[in-house]
Amino acid sequence: MSGQPAAARLRIGIDTGGTFTDIVSVDIVSGATQVTKVASTPANPAIGLLRGVKEILASAGAATDHVAGLAHGTTVATNALLQGEINSLGLIVNTGFRHILEIARQSVPEGYGNSYFWVKPDRIVPLQFIREAGGRLDFRGLELRPLDEASVHEAARYFRARSIRAIGICLLHSYANDAHERRAAEIVAQEYPEATLSLSCVVLPEYREYERAVTTLVDAFVKPHMERYLNRVHQELGSGLQDKPFLVMQSSGGVASADQVVRKPITTALSGPAAGALGSAVIAEIAGFPDLVTLDAGGTSTDLCLIEGGKPQVTNGGSIGPFPVRIPMIDIETIGTGGGSIVWISREGHLKVGPRSAGAEPGPMCYPNGGSEPTITDANLVLGRIPPALIGGGIALDVERARGGIAALAAKLPGDMGIEQLASGIIEIANWNQANAIRQMTIQRGIDPRAFALLSFGGAGPAQSAAVMDLLAMKACIVPPNPGNLSAFGLLAVDWRTDHIVTKVMHEETIDLSEIAARYAALEREAVATLERDGIDASRIRLVREADVRYAGQSMEVRVTASGGAFDETFLTGLIGAFNAAHLRTFGYNYAGEQKIELVNLCVSGFGLIERPQLPKPAIRFDRPEPKGKRAVYFGGFQDTPVFDRAALPPGGRVNGPAIEMSR
Amino acid sequence: MNIHSAAHPWPTAPLREAVAVDPIVLQIVEGTLNSIETEIEYAIERTARSPMIREAHDFRVGLFDRYCRKLTGRSYSAMPNAVVRDFPPETMKPGDVFLMNDTYLTEGSIGHLPDLCSTVPVFHDGEVVAYIQAFGHHDDVGGRVPGSMPGSAATVFEEGIAIPPVKIYCEGVRNEAVFTIVRRNTRVPEMLSADLDSEIQACLMGARRMCGLFERFGREQVEACFQAILEKCRDIYRNELLAKIADGEYAWEDYVEHDGITDPKLHKIALKMTKKGGKITLDFNGTDPQSTGPINWPADYADGAFLIKWIAPILRNLADTPERAAEIHVNEGVCDVFDVIFPPKGTLITPEWPAATNARSFVLLRCLGLLAGVVAQAVDGRMPADQETIRYTGFFGTDLDGKPFLSREVLGGGSGGRYYADGNDAIHIVPDSRNQPAEFTETRFPLLVEKLALRTDSGGAGLRRGGQGYEKHYRALVDCRTIVTADRVRLGCYGLNGGKAGQPFCVTVDAEGEGYDLGGLVDGEPVLKGQVVRVVTTGGGGWGDPLQRELELVLRDVIEGRVSLASAEKDYGVVLKEGDGAGRPVIDEVVTRDLRAEMTKARSAPLPMIDRGEGYEKMLRGEHRPRIR
Repeated sequence: MSGQPAAARLRIGIDTGGTFTDIVSVDIVSGATQVTKVASTPANPAIGLLRGVKEILASAGAATDHVAGLAHGTTVATNALLQGEINSLGLIVNTGFRHILEIARQSVPEGYGNSYFWVKPDRIVPLQFIREAGGRLDFRGLELRPLDEASVHEAARYFRARSIRAIGICLLHSYANDAHERRAAEIVAQEYPEATLSLSCVVLPEYREYERAVTTLVDAFVKPHMERYLNRVHQELGSGLQDKPFLVMQSSGGVASADQVVRKPITTALSGPAAGALGSAVIAEIAGFPDLVTLDAGGTSTDLCLIEGGKPQVTNGGSIGPFPVRIPMIDIETIGTGGGSIVWISREGHLKVGPRSAGAEPGPMCYPNGGSEPTITDANLVLGRIPPALIGGGIALDVERARGGIAALAAKLPGDMGIEQLASGIIEIANWNQANAIRQMTIQRGIDPRAFALLSFGGAGPAQSAAVMDLLAMKACIVPPNPGNLSAFGLLAVDWRTDHIVTKVMHEETIDLSEIAARYAALEREAVATLERDGIDASRIRLVREADVRYAGQSMEVRVTASGGAFDETFLTGLIGAFNAAHLRTFGYNYAGEQKIELVNLCVSGFGLIERPQLPKPAIRFDRPEPKGKRAVYFGGFQDTPVFDRAALPPGGRVNGPAIEMSR
Repeated sequence: MNIHSAAHPWPTAPLREAVAVDPIVLQIVEGTLNSIETEIEYAIERTARSPMIREAHDFRVGLFDRYCRKLTGRSYSAMPNAVVRDFPPETMKPGDVFLMNDTYLTEGSIGHLPDLCSTVPVFHDGEVVAYIQAFGHHDDVGGRVPGSMPGSAATVFEEGIAIPPVKIYCEGVRNEAVFTIVRRNTRVPEMLSADLDSEIQACLMGARRMCGLFERFGREQVEACFQAILEKCRDIYRNELLAKIADGEYAWEDYVEHDGITDPKLHKIALKMTKKGGKITLDFNGTDPQSTGPINWPADYADGAFLIKWIAPILRNLADTPERAAEIHVNEGVCDVFDVIFPPKGTLITPEWPAATNARSFVLLRCLGLLAGVVAQAVDGRMPADQETIRYTGFFGTDLDGKPFLSREVLGGGSGGRYYADGNDAIHIVPDSRNQPAEFTETRFPLLVEKLALRTDSGGAGLRRGGQGYEKHYRALVDCRTIVTADRVRLGCYGLNGGKAGQPFCVTVDAEGEGYDLGGLVDGEPVLKGQVVRVVTTGGGGWGDPLQRELELVLRDVIEGRVSLASAEKDYGVVLKEGDGAGRPVIDEVVTRDLRAEMTKARSAPLPMIDRGEGYEKMLRGEHRPRIR
């Protein structure tokens, strides 16, 4: 960034979650960090955001003048999708394709025979709000029949009469030729100026009409929400801060300015977890374990993410709730167990842990006004693995109530199980569940977990993760400092990012290099223009070319990096080589030299490099730390176990377990 | 059959009192077995090469105890019994792997030859304690036609190579002789051997994981858990599902319409179910003789263990809620609840070698609906109506660049109505199997998709309507040929408890011109450049009396184009009129009330439990519709 006053040296990261808003500030010059946490304000998250910024400025002893920029992770888009009433969304498709959403890809969820008792959920747009437009392109983008403008006028009027304000337009082969979609948009805008439009040729110019339509609709749906929210933030920030660069985290693991985000808000759909993964990647590098599985265990669920070579894995598609979306996103797998997972006895009399959860409301039995069924957290408390009061707040936890709940379960099980014996069994089941989930995730991606370390954070993770590490024979278990602020910290460690894609299917034998060159050049112009709009200096812009490639005849593409150099024969051989190597890595085999390839999508990612915060590296002193106290903790029997304060642990210090380490 | 029954050439589990199991270890073992199954599937999905495995997800994994009892139950799978029959466990060595696909020598576990199956024994303390198994639908195992599924085969010799259980790895060393023979008998040797590698390696990984469980918890504890897991399934069936079926005898039959060689004809599968207490006996006597063509299913082995595990899951529909149904895993424990009586050799489900079997899926799928239909009579119709969601359609020829092309697609159909919900529109029964995007089809093949829609009025009318099938129009951009492999071309999917049958499947060539319909087994009907081929797929059967359907649901169906105005009136007794001026119709309540009353009065008999639709009557009268033209 240019033109910053010398005094502007604080970068602030704000991660707004459902319950808390975490704030981190880093002094770009000294590397000094501050962290804090305020209650989120779900009705208007902008209020909590500003409160947090003020608080962190106060604790850093700084004024608004000192702020160099703000980076924000938000769940506004996700929440709008998951909680919002989707009742004002419309779609325009080609004649003959009105049932595109109803048909989807004809697939049923996993589980044999589910098609008998599965009930297809409602679609994102009810059938009556999907209108057809005449006209047709072929896959090369050639016009077979001209756009029937009258049908578009009619559709626009239909939407206006019914106050359907957010409208997606998805016409066949618009990735090859956007003329019909653009013209349709003009007509709708003219008939119905108040409408918010998303065009599939802008949101996702990639083949596969169903996925493109849903992605476009999700974008159209979140657009008004995002616009309103970012306007509020702008107002709340007030004169001192509203002119500072304000960046929003995208699901891809890069940031973009608020202005960019409003144009294509779907890119922020999974903003929060992406920030956590990036924060983990920074810690991973510092800790010397660039290959890790991150485990973020919350109250109701646990997020897993793979970091390889210091980089979180990015996937080209996933889903937000029930909606499949095709945008680059950090590859995060969510499993349904967390600290609040309920322990219960099934109809068959078997002990079960999860997937039902007591969540934050009513919460575990031991919480004030807690629930009536024991949870994993209650089992940890009974064993003394977590302290009898919530840290910081000093809220006492009700150990006796938790014991009562577990005793009641034990009475219903065969055998004569003691309370602690059952509690440690519950923890063991939970640990195996996590270990099995990690195994599945790594095998699916062709990775052996034994070569990876486990990085654990979140309220319900670290107390159990050493055991999970053992079950999987992983290299190490890392618990980062200030784990609650990992996401907010991650916000400060990422570059600007903008992704551009276009579908152009070309068989190896008929590849036209000049055509490829022209298409990449267009994508690169788009990427540079986007970054320059955010005020990024040309010297800080990096462009990465990628391509989706498959063996001719297959329908699954692999994304590979293409050379940034000239478009000559070596460009192509390099690309094919990279594809064969990636195929081998991903699937365990390739057809190098045997089968021809097909180019499918060309992609360009533009990065605007930031100054990475340099964390001061503490000097290692191999001191023997002193426990601050002792507590009775159950390890096959209660033992007097030393308790250490994380903040007081000397860097490089060693402790022989069992021991308890407390941190915020 | 009984999970403890004796007199088999494989070890039988000893009868024993219910043993006490540690409830914690039980959960860990059960969760880990499910995880191992998933891990093996992920590994195969990632490394296999056949499109049928990778894209259509046609492969299955199974974990079994030392008595060949299936321990997991998310889906059906093969069985290791035939391997153990030919290679007693005491002769097995660590590192041994077995291969088989012979439909007549695999104890009923392999239905057609493309399903090559690998089996890996799991060792603990020097003895076999479990088996891991995987099979996939491989693209080609030889025979008369590419793909090894000749629709007009009369013998197994036309279908490809048949492999009885053999050792493909002996103590970790590959049996090159077997490999060489297999590779020589397929049109795609590289792909097939890579698929086998993928499946075998995945099973070996699973075996190591299973071994880890035995090491961690000891044989006695793990086996006690296995027993408890099997008993849980058995008890859920007995106490929760069978409890809803009144004791008694119930009988029904269903039909496959053609076998690829003889004229369209009703090939009957008959079933008499006797329910008494905690036991169900399934008697298939009365089933028609084996067919000339390849629809035979050799099921009469191992006391019907495979058949039971294949069709028993349909009873999950008796669970209190659909959510509960989805929780019930069906493992070998279910075999304790069912006995099967097979007809003598020589019928559709007891065929004699070398009758062809490659299209046995018609019979296999009908058996699901057959049991559902029998059970429906015992539970006041509280079962789902019928569905058919698998068939192949496609085109082949020479594309615009002069290269040969073959486009094959599985188009799903509507599922049956249920007492709690309408059937689903346009789904396919195999989880995760996907249709082809129009933009993919048009890029790859000389075809233009002119329409991809739900087929109006295809779902059977009912209080809960059957799901809609597809209506898909392809315009050929070159002269080419079309292929079809489909059942339910004449008979609709049956309606239940007063619901109507859905519309049958149909392919029409030159739909915009003269238009003529094809039958269900077509090997290459010519299509001219510019002609439109219309494919309409089956709607699900309806459930319950259509005259009871809520008016607002009928109105919504009409507005959304799922039900025509004519059908609303004729099938549902609902009349609509011009609405508020916004072009939306409303219900004419007075006329509707009168019409429904009149239609109810005009009924001469109570509504039938099962409606097979018009096609059935026509076939009985001999007016079946062979290929028109």
